[in-house]
Amino acid sequence: MSKEASGLEAAGTHDLEVVRNHIREGRFQRSLSLLTAVTSIVSGLEVAYEHYRGSYSRRVMYTPVILSVLLAVAGFAGFFSKRAARTVLRWVAFVTLVDAGVGFYFHVRGIYRKPGGWRLPMTNMIMGPPVFAPLLFGTSAYLGLIASYLQREESLHADPDANEDSWLTRLLPSAAGRELISEEQDIREGKFQQQVAIVAGVSALLSGFEAYYSHYKNNFRYKAQWSPVAIAPILAGVSFASTKNRRWAATALPVISAVAAADAAVGFYYHARGVLRRPGGRKHLLYNIMYGPPIFAPLLFGAAGMLGGLASLLRRRNR
Amino acid sequence: MKEPLLGAFEEHNKRKHMVGPLQQIHAPMRRFRDYEEVDYVIVGVGSAGGVLVQRLARAGFNVVGIEAGPFWDTEHDWVSDEVGSHDLYWTEPRVTGGSDPLALGANNCGKGVGGGSVHWAAFTPRLHPSDFEVYTRDGVGADWPIDYADIMPYYEQLELEMPVAGPAYYPWGHPHGYAYGPHPMGGVGNALIKGCTALDIPVSIGGPVAILSGSHGDRPHCIYRGFCIQGCKVGAKASTLVTHVPDAVKTGAEIRDRSMVSRIEVGKNGRVTGVHYFDIEGNAHFQKAKAVIVSGYAIETPRLLMHSACAGHEHGLANSSGTLGRYLMAQAGNVVMGRFDQPVRMYKAPPAHALTEQFYETNAKNDFARGFAIQTVGPLPVAFGKQMIAAKKAWGWGLRREMMDYNHWATFGLLGEILPWNDNRVTLSDDKDRFGLRVAHVSFNLHENDKNLIKAAKKKTEDVMWAAGAEQVVQEARYAHLVGGCRMGKDARTSVVDKFGRTHDVANLFVCDGSVFPTQGSANPGLTIQALAARTADYLIEQGAAIFNSNKRDMATPRLRRELAPPATWGKGVPRLK
Amino acid sequence: MKRFEEVDRALCPVDPDTGEVLEPRAQPGYYAGFSTLAQRAFWDEATRKVVDKRVKDAPQRRYLSEQAWEFWSTVFAHLIPQTDRTPERQINLVAGLDHRLEVNETIGYRYEDMPHDRVVYAWGIDAINAEAKHRYGGEFMVLPYRQQDVVLKALHDGRPEAASDIWKKMSVHRFWQMIMGDAIEAYYAHPWAWDEIGFGGPAYPRAYTRLERGEPEPWEVEEQRYAWAAPSASVSDEVRSVSGHHTEAGQHSLLDKGGVR
Repeated sequence: MSKEASGLEAAGTHDLEVVRNHIREGRFQRSLSLLTAVTSIVSGLEVAYEHYRGSYSRRVMYTPVILSVLLAVAGFAGFFSKRAARTVLRWVAFVTLVDAGVGFYFHVRGIYRKPGGWRLPMTNMIMGPPVFAPLLFGTSAYLGLIASYLQREESLHADPDANEDSWLTRLLPSAAGRELISEEQDIREGKFQQQVAIVAGVSALLSGFEAYYSHYKNNFRYKAQWSPVAIAPILAGVSFASTKNRRWAATALPVISAVAAADAAVGFYYHARGVLRRPGGRKHLLYNIMYGPPIFAPLLFGAAGMLGGLASLLRRRNR
Repeated sequence: MKEPLLGAFEEHNKRKHMVGPLQQIHAPMRRFRDYEEVDYVIVGVGSAGGVLVQRLARAGFNVVGIEAGPFWDTEHDWVSDEVGSHDLYWTEPRVTGGSDPLALGANNCGKGVGGGSVHWAAFTPRLHPSDFEVYTRDGVGADWPIDYADIMPYYEQLELEMPVAGPAYYPWGHPHGYAYGPHPMGGVGNALIKGCTALDIPVSIGGPVAILSGSHGDRPHCIYRGFCIQGCKVGAKASTLVTHVPDAVKTGAEIRDRSMVSRIEVGKNGRVTGVHYFDIEGNAHFQKAKAVIVSGYAIETPRLLMHSACAGHEHGLANSSGTLGRYLMAQAGNVVMGRFDQPVRMYKAPPAHALTEQFYETNAKNDFARGFAIQTVGPLPVAFGKQMIAAKKAWGWGLRREMMDYNHWATFGLLGEILPWNDNRVTLSDDKDRFGLRVAHVSFNLHENDKNLIKAAKKKTEDVMWAAGAEQVVQEARYAHLVGGCRMGKDARTSVVDKFGRTHDVANLFVCDGSVFPTQGSANPGLTIQALAARTADYLIEQGAAIFNSNKRDMATPRLRRELAPPATWGKGVPRLK
Repeated sequence: MKRFEEVDRALCPVDPDTGEVLEPRAQPGYYAGFSTLAQRAFWDEATRKVVDKRVKDAPQRRYLSEQAWEFWSTVFAHLIPQTDRTPERQINLVAGLDHRLEVNETIGYRYEDMPHDRVVYAWGIDAINAEAKHRYGGEFMVLPYRQQDVVLKALHDGRPEAASDIWKKMSVHRFWQMIMGDAIEAYYAHPWAWDEIGFGGPAYPRAYTRLERGEPEPWEVEEQRYAWAAPSASVSDEVRSVSGHHTEAGQHSLLDKGGVR
């Protein structure tokens, strides 16, 4: 038994080493596509019921639900096919990102149009459309977009399509175009640590703020409700520091990212428990999921942690 | 925050006529002269009148809605205050009596454009299919001249126009779902859910209520401030003032407010020719019209028809059956109050946000026919204090003490079907109002079936309150809603109007409001009133000029004209379960 | 507490454990530190005007005679006693009544066994005085507090012993219901009473955000209970949870068998 166990352990260590190398070299298109699909399903569910709370009172509220389904499909397609990863996934992810921006506009406007509007910022952010939720929704789209530029795990040497111009670069002035192409190149080689760190930091801040006001709505009844509020700025700070400092990226970033992910898991448990403890509990499960603690919200916070972890494993740009 | 950003809130748009913070009434409004013969005069722009005015105007008729109360500017006229909302109610004098006299006024009668829909709590359950054949099924009450299938498309339509928020699946009556999602719960709703769940009673959470759970064009969604029955300044709660009247004005209807119709004039050919009314200064006017629709609700409609008695109609206009003013109904509305150890703060969230209709239908095990519903209610301090006088006989220091515990109480209201009885009726009193018109006298008596039903309903509601964890349960007897008095029926000898609201006696005189209900079920009547109004409108539009120049009655069912809904209706909500 | 000397200590609530008189407070009730008026910047202008008027306008007597005003002030001070409030924070209870009678405003109906509201308040004085004379041999206004309380309690219980001629023309239950209703409309419409009972007050445009579990908004306060007992001079501190008969609508007749008509 001990032999088997140590064998497994060795295999496990070996696999971990392989994964780490793949990430370092930007060869994780398959896994990131899969991850995109999974996060897209989670954020799709979240947006589906959140918008149901808002009664889908505008047709545009359906778009993130539809796009998250498409993105999930595209993510799975990208897992199986390089071609799909480079085309469908990229396109769907891009459209989803744009939709996140549109959503952000509508949420800002929605708060403006509530009684008291932005003059009652706290009340109307709590009771109106959650202002940063669309941007957090964009996280999975961002992952998909990145994935579309990566190499596949099994690819051993530089990509033959490396110098293929993307449609966007053709539209841009040549200098900017060149910049974009080299950015693509860096991503392909796993040299985009700084970018991911920034995104991780921003997403930590946004979801930390969402956690703050939704827990504030709940009057911070449990001490644990402060944890995401406390962890988020640290994660953000470390992420931003990592863009300047290689050492931070290698040491503090993975630690705080792991803490955030663990906190998200605990949060998920408590939110699920909170749903079941509501009046009517299991009997009115769907309603209680809708209006109880948002069970997927901690996972979005966890996504920021995951991005931080990813960043810590990546390489930095040479320039 | 000590104050909002940029300082205290001040009223802007003082020169615009606002209904809600964002929606405004189209100006200038079309005006008709008294001597112009309009197509329709609608007496009373309330729940039914608002829908009628909108439909008929959009269909291209010349329409004047004459309303006794004001055409509200909600930003200016309404307040977030209990006592300050006195003017929303019908506070003209009336007399109430019988063995079980009804409270009127704030309890069930509105005044001003939007009528009762301005101060309803906005529960909008449908009637059940069984409600349309109570006599056939149970041998009591009466049958309707229409059945559920006739009104169902209008329920579905009005649920979109208001729109109604509620669960995706509503299990009672004819099961269906709602296009707008359910609302979050307040403390009272949670108590109802807890109590019902403990007793294994299904409960509908977060609706059906005509309160926005998501924004709807220029109407923001609910802000859960609990002042529903004081008039919703937010415009989230549906009233015809915010749902239908704006479109009516835009499409050319005139709303003539602060004008009290005193008599309907009958011409030599036995057809009505217009209405006499007093303006705000007490000046008498006569508006000519090709047809008249009375939408004054269960007391003022019979009263106006009685005032319009004339040669050939000695006992009141359209009263050849002698049933005018009779078969008046209110629902038993006992309020059951439970005190909880933990605070509830029931003033938050709309009073209406959860209910059960599990006991709605006739049950052979009961010693009564028909049934009841249990709903949330959330009285504000003044109303709660008055309930405490009754429920606990509190006064003096005892009242002060009970009221200091206001935040510990939750309240449920039962809604019990009281059957239509011949002796429950509206007549004219000898008291006079400010125009010298005799006021209405309302006489109400409970009968055996009603009493047994109330007893059982009260017991069940108290059981639910105990099961919710209350440490003390008390109750106050009262009534809710008001329908009947001008009932519809197939037989001209036992009813006042036909199934489209046309009076049996006068071909161009219609009644369209809650007074046409032959029975009432234990559903709040608001939705059904508006659905019937839309149906009557479709009938009138289908008949076209025949209404104005023919005494022939075409009883063919009109087609549903969805295209006449206010345009803001479309493009919102989720697909519904049918 | 300034002006405490103006309040008769025997009429103040006491600590039930020690029997000590509780000092009148600017704000009785379990929500010390809560002020709805402090939130008025968050109310809409129309509401602010209405509530401000209620708080700031000096009470004006227009309809009632001076004696009637004094009489009803005394009666209402039994219906809703305020001796736990410092005098400057006591709420005027008859100004609203005076205004309503002056403009002849009603709740929109009268019961057929009741005269018009103005008559109710005229006959009410006679009936209460008759009861006072019958029981204690003096007009209501000259009786000591406790005897006044007992006279009113007879009406509360629906068992007056005098003035049967008046009570034949006017239901004692409906009469009680009306005077209590007017007192409640005056007291519990006042922001100081909202502070006392922890009611949030006007809430437009600002919404409520914490709807469940009775949790306070950030600007509301948690309940801080204390024990108090009514003054021994009063008989109004008992409540019964039997199905009573004083109601808005009248209790349904089947529940009303024990009631006196």
